[in-house]
Amino acid sequence: MNRQNSKYFFIGLAAAFFVFSICTASLLAADAGDEQNNVLQVAASTDQQGEPDNDQFEDAWAEEDNWEDETDGSKAIADPLEPVNRIFFHFNDKLYYWVLKPVARGYNAILPEDVRIVVRNFFNNLLAPRSIVNNLLQGKVRKSSEELVRFVLNSTVGIVGLGDFAQDVLELNPTYADTGQTLGYYGLGGIIYIHWPFFGPSNVRDTIGMVGDYYLHPLNYVDIKWEERTAIKVYDQVNRTSLTLGDYELFTETALDPYTAVKDAYQQNRDGKIKEPR
Amino acid sequence: MNVRPIIKLISYKWSTMVLAAAMILALYGVPAASAVESGPMAQLRVSVDEIIDILKKEELKAPERHNERHELIWEVVYKMFDFYEMAKSSLGKNWKTISTEEQDMFVGLFSSLVKQRYIGKINSYTDQEIVYTKQLIKENRAMVYSLLIDKGTKVPIIYKLKVKQDKWFIYDIKIENVSLVLNYRRDFASVIRKEKFAGLVERITEKLEK
Repeated sequence: MNRQNSKYFFIGLAAAFFVFSICTASLLAADAGDEQNNVLQVAASTDQQGEPDNDQFEDAWAEEDNWEDETDGSKAIADPLEPVNRIFFHFNDKLYYWVLKPVARGYNAILPEDVRIVVRNFFNNLLAPRSIVNNLLQGKVRKSSEELVRFVLNSTVGIVGLGDFAQDVLELNPTYADTGQTLGYYGLGGIIYIHWPFFGPSNVRDTIGMVGDYYLHPLNYVDIKWEERTAIKVYDQVNRTSLTLGDYELFTETALDPYTAVKDAYQQNRDGKIKEPR
Repeated sequence: MNVRPIIKLISYKWSTMVLAAAMILALYGVPAASAVESGPMAQLRVSVDEIIDILKKEELKAPERHNERHELIWEVVYKMFDFYEMAKSSLGKNWKTISTEEQDMFVGLFSSLVKQRYIGKINSYTDQEIVYTKQLIKENRAMVYSLLIDKGTKVPIIYKLKVKQDKWFIYDIKIENVSLVLNYRRDFASVIRKEKFAGLVERITEKLEK
């Protein structure tokens, strides 16, 4: 195949992909409407048992009963590295207050919120391959295809991901998935808690997951120097932080032992993501 | 024979009986029925709307009226939560090791701590939207699922409620999978392990003074 031909081939492929996405999107949108009705039905008839829709309902209560019976800390993750982790927590905390926060505030002053949201959309769109693959690996075919449709539409109609066309117009919400979550889905526990410098709270499973996520991020396939890549990632972080300023402060300042509070919040959040219904 | 006193007696009896029945209904039947009818989601929505109304009041947005605004919000929030249950649950097994007076004092400290966290968060409210997605009810407990739409992202918030007398009270909130009570339980446990209950009280008091 010569160059000219391969160019047309790819344009054709992209067009086919695009048409496919529109079709799937409209099907999914219709489906989503049905689901809405189901939710309402469940809400209306909460006493009915044994219906397929109630599985999720039972799970929610089973989990509920669990934590009420739970004796203190029995389910908390092991933390043999605590002394080192605390040092890194302290380091990240200072990094936030002394570097990230002042930079994000300055950045805030320059760019209006709308623009910063658009920038975040762009970076979120780049996470789509990660979610597509991991949803599929967890057998969540529907979520995976939704994410694929989102990626194709937002990258095209949404202008390289700057707008979230799929969510705003078709009500296709982002479905989060990452490699650590996939490992957790297949039963791998966090093993031990790790608080990484720069990256923050994690565990053995999610650290392994970070490697998978690295290979699923388009940015890591672009032919640029690693310094440039890092700069782009730091910029993404600054932009994200500028949209959530105050949350970290409030949480850590109203906790008695912020290290433990962050560790637990991370664990609960991850466990919740792993248990997410299909 | 004069029947009038008998009729009078009967009618008197009737009215007393009706009155008594009405009172029994009012005390037991009706409030319970109303709680079931209005449901946890409806009740929660009313309270949350009340808070949003306060937040939207232009005249309260002035910096010098911030304290007044906080107190107004707190009045509503205080009626929504079962702080006794939350404080108890946040201490876990340590709850039973302290005296009743200490328990009462701790409930006060705990609610002030929650106040600090949530009033702080609520202060940054601009025009976020709240969508209630579903409610699950099991006997006297319920879960209300909602989404807070903030700057284009959807934050899932789940309220756990328990019915007490005629009202649903929140005894835990889960924001992005993180339970408030469980998070505080682990946080407190880490302090109690090293500094005992007295140390915990001291640390909370210090926090509140800031």
